[in-house]
Amino acid sequence: MSSITGFLSRAWVRWAITAVVAVALLVVPLLFSEYTNQNLARIGVFAVAVLGLNVVMGYTGQVSLGQIFFVGVGAYVTGYGATHDWNIVVVFLASVLVPGVIGLVVALAAARLGGLAIAMVTIALPIIGVPLAKRLSDFTGGSQGLSSAFSNAPDWTGLYNDQWQLYLVIVIGGATYLLTRNLVRGKYGRAFAIVKSNEAVAASMGISPYRYKVLAFTVASLIGGVSGFLYMAVIQFTSPETMTFSHSITLLASMVIGGAASIIGSLLGGAYYVLVPQWSNDINPNLTELLQGALLLLTLFLLPGGLVTLPREIARRLRRSRPDGGPERRQTPSAEPAPGREAVEETPTVGGIPTQRPTERQEQA
Amino acid sequence: MGQFIQLFVDGLSNGSIYAVLALAIVLVNQATGMINFAQGGMAVLSAYATWWLTEHGLPLVVAILVSILLSFVLGGLIERFVMRRFERGDPDTAVVVTIGLLTLITGICGWLWTYNNKQFPSLFSLKTVDIFGAAVSVRSIGTFLVIVAIMLLLQALFLGTKLGLALRAVAINPQSAAFSGLPVGRLLMAGWGLAAALGAVAGALVAPQLTLTPGMMDSALVYALAAVILGGLSSPIGVVVAAWLIGVLENLAAVYVHFIGYDLKVAVPFILIFVVLIVRPQGLFGRKVVVRV
Repeated sequence: MSSITGFLSRAWVRWAITAVVAVALLVVPLLFSEYTNQNLARIGVFAVAVLGLNVVMGYTGQVSLGQIFFVGVGAYVTGYGATHDWNIVVVFLASVLVPGVIGLVVALAAARLGGLAIAMVTIALPIIGVPLAKRLSDFTGGSQGLSSAFSNAPDWTGLYNDQWQLYLVIVIGGATYLLTRNLVRGKYGRAFAIVKSNEAVAASMGISPYRYKVLAFTVASLIGGVSGFLYMAVIQFTSPETMTFSHSITLLASMVIGGAASIIGSLLGGAYYVLVPQWSNDINPNLTELLQGALLLLTLFLLPGGLVTLPREIARRLRRSRPDGGPERRQTPSAEPAPGREAVEETPTVGGIPTQRPTERQEQA
Repeated sequence: MGQFIQLFVDGLSNGSIYAVLALAIVLVNQATGMINFAQGGMAVLSAYATWWLTEHGLPLVVAILVSILLSFVLGGLIERFVMRRFERGDPDTAVVVTIGLLTLITGICGWLWTYNNKQFPSLFSLKTVDIFGAAVSVRSIGTFLVIVAIMLLLQALFLGTKLGLALRAVAINPQSAAFSGLPVGRLLMAGWGLAAALGAVAGALVAPQLTLTPGMMDSALVYALAAVILGGLSSPIGVVVAAWLIGVLENLAAVYVHFIGYDLKVAVPFILIFVVLIVRPQGLFGRKVVVRV
């Protein structure tokens, strides 16, 4: 185990992996069928949405039930701009900034209440959002929804629409992932982590929990806006259905099942959001919600860190079941938290913030 | 004027239902420090149980009583076998667990009884009576009175009985309560059971109006949470007053404020919350929580 992580942490290995992944991402849209490409693009869209939720919930520890609302707002703004022939850059900026501003206003009020109040306020967003979208029919097309084919492949590329859209998702989603990863690994990420683990300690160190909660929530809604833009680019249609309460809960379940406070976990969450309902609808549509609730509870009971911690969990179980497991484990204490970043972040950062942690994390990056 | 009185009484009746759900949430919160987002879902399950019993020939009142009893047991079991593990841990995780429960219970209702609307028999007649020239429905008055009676009962339970005293002791300080020999685990189960039983009452009262669907209580839950925020988690009376206020205001706003209308009245409590948060962050009646580090 430790030799693998040692191998993985070498600089050239990391570069090689990055290069392989980048090349794979560039080639993938050209190889697969239209159906697969569309599914992959959808996974990308919701992986970005889950990533946003992860910033506020996974990293900062504030339960938000409203993330889907920002995705919906982003999609609506995109659709409105695209149908009114705005410049695509303006459309993108508006689709990110409008949800961001709404998120900021909501957070400014909600974060004033401590504890679980953010969850209790944000639960209202999708519940108000749906009738509001129906009401503002001049902008949103009411219950009919809004469609826009602005993201069809331009002629000069010679690509099919699904390939072009998948490239859009890869480029924009990938950039969002990189930016978010840098955010949560850096100074802000450490501030988020300490707000999550103990607000009083954070305050005593000059980190205002209120400000960082507002910041995290705003960043989450900005990312939700990006996801909404991509949603419109891939699905080319949005309606009040996009932001219903049940979708909001599915998004939250995806985040927890994928892995809270984890970049890879967010990707897994996006895959969960798209694939599992498809799969359970094939079995029996009436069972979808039941299965989702059961899966979420099972995850919380058996694998609180989400799917992303599954390999580590299995390794731990295997080691424990081996008779000579005890001493071996004692020999390599550092190997235990290393494989996944989450362990580092979940260990209470309160005690020993300054010394080793930053470098440790940068090395892993 | 007639319309105003009618809206006011209907608002009080709706507010009473939010109040019961909100009281259930406060009850659980006082005992365990968590917010139970599944409270509405559990109430829906109770309502389905009532409906199922009436379909099998039981009179409505008996069916409601049986369902209240079943809900009490179920609430206790959920506390013991699902929530117990998460009670001493991170409250955020516990919240996610209750959201999982909400999804699971809604899913079970949808699976067993489909997602189609079901007609639920009303406990009160749908006739109206004349009060100061306003036609007020018997159902609204009945709902309101039932809930006032329940609140008085609860008050009597908490202040007048040994069980209530023990429950309050566990809520204030579970550790000291355990040291003085109280069965904390069983009392927590009783707290959850009581909350679930309250939810069952709310479910049975609201189901005839909304018709029975698995997502019936979603918006009631939102109203109840709004009432909890406005009233302050530490003040049951505050929560009830806030719930009535919300019920009345949203009804009035739906009719008299043109932009809001019937479809957007769910936004009313949150506009109220925004205003209150800026003026009184601890809620209308709540106390500021001071944490010792």
